[in-house]
Amino acid sequence: MTFRQFAYRNVVRNRRIYAAFFMASVFSVMVFFLYSMLLFHPTIEDRFIQEIAIIGMGIAEIILFVFTAFFLFYSMRAFLQARSKEFGILLHLGMEKRQINRLIFIETLLIGITSIGIGIILGFTFSKFFFMIVKEIVLLPALPLYLSWKPFVLTIGAFLSLFIVISLIAPVFIKSGKIADLMRGDGNEKELYVYSKAKGYIGIIFLGVSYVMAASTSNSIVLVLLYFLPPLATIGTFYFFTDSVPMFLHKLRSSRRIYWRNFRLLSISEGIVRLRENARMFFIVTIVSTVAFMSVGILASLASFASQYREMNPLGLIYISYEGNELEEEHTSMLNRELEERDIQFSRKQIPVLEQRSTYSGSSVDIISVSDINELASEFDYLSIQLNKGQAIFLPPSPSSYESLNNRTVKTTLQNSDLSITIDGAYPYQLFASYSISTNAIILNDEDFSTVLAKGTMNEAPSFTYYAYYIPEWQKTKDIGLSINDTINDTFITGVSSSLPYSFDNPGLNYSIIRTTFSLLLFIGLLLAAVFLLAAGSFIYFRLYTRLEQDKKQFDVLKRLGLTDPEFKKIVNRQLIPQFFFPWGVAMLHSSFAFLSLQVVWDALAEISIVKELVLVLIGFTVLQIGYFYLIRWRYLAHIKAPS
Amino acid sequence: MKPIVTLKEVTKIYEGKVMHRALNQLTFEALEGEFVAVMGPSGSGKTTLLNLISSIDIPTYGRVLIDNVEPEKLSENNLALFRRSSLGFVFQEINLLNMLTVEENIVLPLTLDGYSIEEMEQRVSLLSNRLGISKILDKRPDELSGGQAQRTAIGRALVHKPKIILADEPTGNLDSASAKDVLELLSEVNKTDRTTIIMVTHDPIAASYCDRVVFIKDGEFFNEIYKDERRQTFFQRILNVLSLLGGHSNDFSSVRLP
Repeated sequence: MTFRQFAYRNVVRNRRIYAAFFMASVFSVMVFFLYSMLLFHPTIEDRFIQEIAIIGMGIAEIILFVFTAFFLFYSMRAFLQARSKEFGILLHLGMEKRQINRLIFIETLLIGITSIGIGIILGFTFSKFFFMIVKEIVLLPALPLYLSWKPFVLTIGAFLSLFIVISLIAPVFIKSGKIADLMRGDGNEKELYVYSKAKGYIGIIFLGVSYVMAASTSNSIVLVLLYFLPPLATIGTFYFFTDSVPMFLHKLRSSRRIYWRNFRLLSISEGIVRLRENARMFFIVTIVSTVAFMSVGILASLASFASQYREMNPLGLIYISYEGNELEEEHTSMLNRELEERDIQFSRKQIPVLEQRSTYSGSSVDIISVSDINELASEFDYLSIQLNKGQAIFLPPSPSSYESLNNRTVKTTLQNSDLSITIDGAYPYQLFASYSISTNAIILNDEDFSTVLAKGTMNEAPSFTYYAYYIPEWQKTKDIGLSINDTINDTFITGVSSSLPYSFDNPGLNYSIIRTTFSLLLFIGLLLAAVFLLAAGSFIYFRLYTRLEQDKKQFDVLKRLGLTDPEFKKIVNRQLIPQFFFPWGVAMLHSSFAFLSLQVVWDALAEISIVKELVLVLIGFTVLQIGYFYLIRWRYLAHIKAPS
Repeated sequence: MKPIVTLKEVTKIYEGKVMHRALNQLTFEALEGEFVAVMGPSGSGKTTLLNLISSIDIPTYGRVLIDNVEPEKLSENNLALFRRSSLGFVFQEINLLNMLTVEENIVLPLTLDGYSIEEMEQRVSLLSNRLGISKILDKRPDELSGGQAQRTAIGRALVHKPKIILADEPTGNLDSASAKDVLELLSEVNKTDRTTIIMVTHDPIAASYCDRVVFIKDGEFFNEIYKDERRQTFFQRILNVLSLLGGHSNDFSSVRLP
């Protein structure tokens, strides 16, 4: 048996221990590879959505890489410490320290190369499927499978260097103590029962303060809190796990009424050890999960922004032509033609909008006739309204402004036409896209409207014509009027857009951009969160596995003492449930409070509530976690009951 | 006195890649209040015998009767409850639970049965005085000497007042002074409480504390001897049988004359 064979057999025969570690590495290699496949896709270039896709994927790759590095370092350390007995024996048999380092180097590299290989193979196998999902989301023409060296080189380069660095550093993790110490195994049990009261209180206080501040935040200080709260909560979380929780459990322990009951004696004391032992891991899992919850929650809320987009943009296309627009006829007939060519049903309303100066406010006001409004409203199946002579109502610029405008009554004279009117109430439906007319618009009786029209021609303020396209299948319009869009975009670049005598708005196109961007980001985020989930679970599995022998022995003693099977299951549940759900519970609490403060910013931004999305995301994660819990419990029980 | 543990023509076969007959038509009896040692060379089936009496294993053929209960006929659950109420265990590896203090280790069997806290405290204080561990009740097992740990384990075995105590090499990991301590403690418990003790051991000195020594070899009954007036001569007779048993010399590794 050569030295290399020895290392190889070590890995292959310890495969059950390596399994979770291996699985998590394979999975992150796979996801990384998928992202880079998309990153280097030849047909994705120089388009707006693709830019976002590439930036998103790029950032996701970096996060994934950093996290994987972190994960590998941590598990490697725990792993080598768990094997210290084995190293003790090897040193005892006369192996040099240098040889042990080489052994670890070969072993790690072996796992690394295998997981890179399998990860890439899996990634390549699933890449067509992955492209199909991305294609669905981004609404691209088909993304063909392609073969290029770039994604392979990036993935192999990134992970191989990571594994090499880790395998070189790993030997440092072995406690360089005496052979006898190594052989005695983990040792240092005493550490598990020590905690600092001061730190325990710091943990609770820090967390409490951050929660209270997050809950009571207001618009004015939220930006300050954004810098201040995360570090505070992070430090608080750390001490919470390392000291506050043990402190609490020890308090519980001193009350015999609670503690000396049934198997609580076992489960609480066991819980103390497990929690203390895994405190750092819980801290990491909590922070990582919080970030994952937050990013997914934010992305989901952005997706809900898109779904409310229709409410704010009820019209399919909007073309506004100002006075002196020579292209008016050309543009509108072109739009009609393009819509007809694509078999999209539509109805077009040409709405003249007049502009007058109001004596009441001294500012200009846009005027629309009631029959134009009613005609458009009939397309939406809204009720028509009646206005008498001299009577007017406000046309609210956005749904939220309806309330305040409806309760206002204003008597005013339109300066240019000398028409006295009473504006009372507001129009209840949202016919136009928000703010597409103007913030100050009213609806007039037809007769008054013609009066204004007749006298208003002398007025220097230009009136405009609003072309409202009502299109039931409004999402199909993303290819309509692209040439007008291009001209407008060009003038944006040259900086003369304000002098253009027309404007054009295509909500269908805008919506498709927003929607795909958000869903793409959400998809990337969910994939990342899945990697985090798997890694966190594999930490726990790994910890359980390294303690398996000890647990087995303990199980044997308890069995002789007469512990029944249901009781044993309950004890195992009480050990595992906190390990799985405690960090997650804290993470959920963290992100709930974070969202509470974000809601302040968000509400002001887009007038949407993110509670529903958040609840959905949290439920989704919880279901996943419960599934994972049962899987691992099943494996654990099977291992522990198996005869040795 | 009537028998409390009865094994009739018990055979235990372990199936596996290699079939192994651990016990072969062994008949064994322990009377109420008796202190019995089971001796035999390695692989003679001592531990299998103890496992059958512990009811964590069932025989392939033959009958086992413990305190008028036939373990084979009980459900898994009732078996656990039966062990909990009637049997106490002392192991070579001591097997205290590391995350519990001495006191908690002792009350563990009682908490499982839902005793009242007053009752538990009373029993612990009585027992700890008797075992001489009342000063270390708050310590953790890894802070104890071997003798203290084994006394704690005996406390755990006694606390629910079982009818039978099963000891598997209880002195195997102890120095001679602690071993003497533990053995005297066991025989004191046997005399005052009339608790039946069945002890598996390699050590002829340990065996010499018992009322009777049963020798088994290759899973079969080999011989038995009863104690006499003097422990010294009983010990000598045990050595004689052991030499007849013809094990290897290292089976007598801990022969020391008192």
